[in-house]
Amino acid sequence: MYTTQQLHDIFANALSIPPDQVTADLSYQSIPEWDSVSHIYLITELEAAFNITIDTDDILEMSSLEKVKDTLRKHNIELV
Amino acid sequence: MKLYELIARNPHLQYIDAASGNSCRLPDLRSSLDLTDQQQLALLYLDNSIAAIELLLNCLDSRLTIALLSPKLHTAYKQQLEAAYAPYYIYDPTREQIQEYTPYKASATISLFRNQENRANIHPDLKLLLSTSGTTGSPKFVKLSEANLVQNALSIIDYLPINSQDVTPLNLPVFYSYGLSVFTTNSIAGGTIVCANRDVVQKEFWEDSQRYGYTSIAGVPYVYEMLHRIGFCRKEYPALRYMTQAGGKLNPALVNIFGEYLAARSKQFFVMYGQTEATARMSWMPPQALLQKPGSIGLPVRNGQFCIAPDTQELLYTGPNVFGGYAHTAADLATFEPLPVLHTGDVAKQDDDGYYYITGRMKRFVKLFGARVNLDEVETILKQETNGGTFACIGREDQHLLVLHEHADLEDKAIRQLLSEKLHLHPSAFKVQQVDRFVLTPNGKPDYAAMQQKLHEKAIATA
Repeated sequence: MYTTQQLHDIFANALSIPPDQVTADLSYQSIPEWDSVSHIYLITELEAAFNITIDTDDILEMSSLEKVKDTLRKHNIELV
Repeated sequence: MKLYELIARNPHLQYIDAASGNSCRLPDLRSSLDLTDQQQLALLYLDNSIAAIELLLNCLDSRLTIALLSPKLHTAYKQQLEAAYAPYYIYDPTREQIQEYTPYKASATISLFRNQENRANIHPDLKLLLSTSGTTGSPKFVKLSEANLVQNALSIIDYLPINSQDVTPLNLPVFYSYGLSVFTTNSIAGGTIVCANRDVVQKEFWEDSQRYGYTSIAGVPYVYEMLHRIGFCRKEYPALRYMTQAGGKLNPALVNIFGEYLAARSKQFFVMYGQTEATARMSWMPPQALLQKPGSIGLPVRNGQFCIAPDTQELLYTGPNVFGGYAHTAADLATFEPLPVLHTGDVAKQDDDGYYYITGRMKRFVKLFGARVNLDEVETILKQETNGGTFACIGREDQHLLVLHEHADLEDKAIRQLLSEKLHLHPSAFKVQQVDRFVLTPNGKPDYAAMQQKLHEKAIATA
């Protein structure tokens, strides 16, 4: 069982931002810290934390916090 | 002939704004901005939007001397640059106001900041200023002339298969010498140029690629790492004709992967070498030799020559694209002295077929995510931010920057966070290590080579 908080912590760590900056409307390039470099880092962190392999098409799809959750759902990961 | 005149002679040229899908031709953009007819300095924090390209073209058609910079620079660094150079115009859509400057509407859509009191004494040959370190905000610029820009572009057009049917994305920043040369070469000899701030990890980039049929893609090493990560080579790109790579040494495994992928589809892969001090380009690898000459930077561009210094093995370059000196303050803009020889700072060798290879580096910098980071400048930043602490910075394989320090009370994470904020680079680019004491040279300076050797031995011992 994973929590939303865990996901937020992964985001904060991968994008190197304070946890309170991880908001529901966060999206790619909406903050300078979420750029192409940190995006690849984020994908790697998500794969490690949830023990999944993210499909290459999904890497491009995961352009917001909401869309990341959608992808996790495809891997049967529901956050509580 | 001026760069702008060469561009204006290209009848096939059109620019597309990916955001709206609108296209325009050069005559639509000519004199679209009301700019001064004097030779003054303009600091442009440019992205790759159609507005920025319109501004750039208008500036190329004017007598302005322009400095191209990243809009993402830290505001404090922008202010330092502006204090050092006192430009007449500033273009920066990220700021609402700038002290001592008045907003100036250059057109209905493009606003600048202007200070008419600021008058610079600028050498007539000085057209362009480019920063070598994109991120430390150093006020050090490379001085380039109109002739440098033209010669660099023509030497690239000489070997790249650019033609009027091309559809070229501006996927590298135009404030960066490589990205700027994609813009200049394709404006002179290409067809359609797609202006957008979209990069290869965005779905929109690939949608544009399909919609417009991109015929080339340019990338620094980390772009190729991302392309590999997103499974680029598992798909087909019928319109793609060639790809280029510059901005640092690409991992040999990736050279092979992309080289083979493209060769198998009768497409070409150009691995290239250059420096901002040479406007951009010094050498290129003929695609047919790429897989036979692993690690080579190839052959000099047309009108360029390499030679290797007999005593140091430093790679020296001469050619009409070599810059006219550095600028550190506004006073340096008054001179432009083309250097007879460019000292690349890279150590090189040449094989029996005449191909060149970089074997080491003499200068104190590391390339991180495509950006050149000056190690001495990073030490200065750390010293300032820690009220006089002592640091030694070492670049490692262009993978990360290692900070050594003697302060037991400093947290690694805090240092990485600080550098990440100051340099706008991901913290994973920085490693921190506390040491008992630095190794010093006989005259009391940090002995980087010895410290690197020590770390290397330690790594072997613990492996």
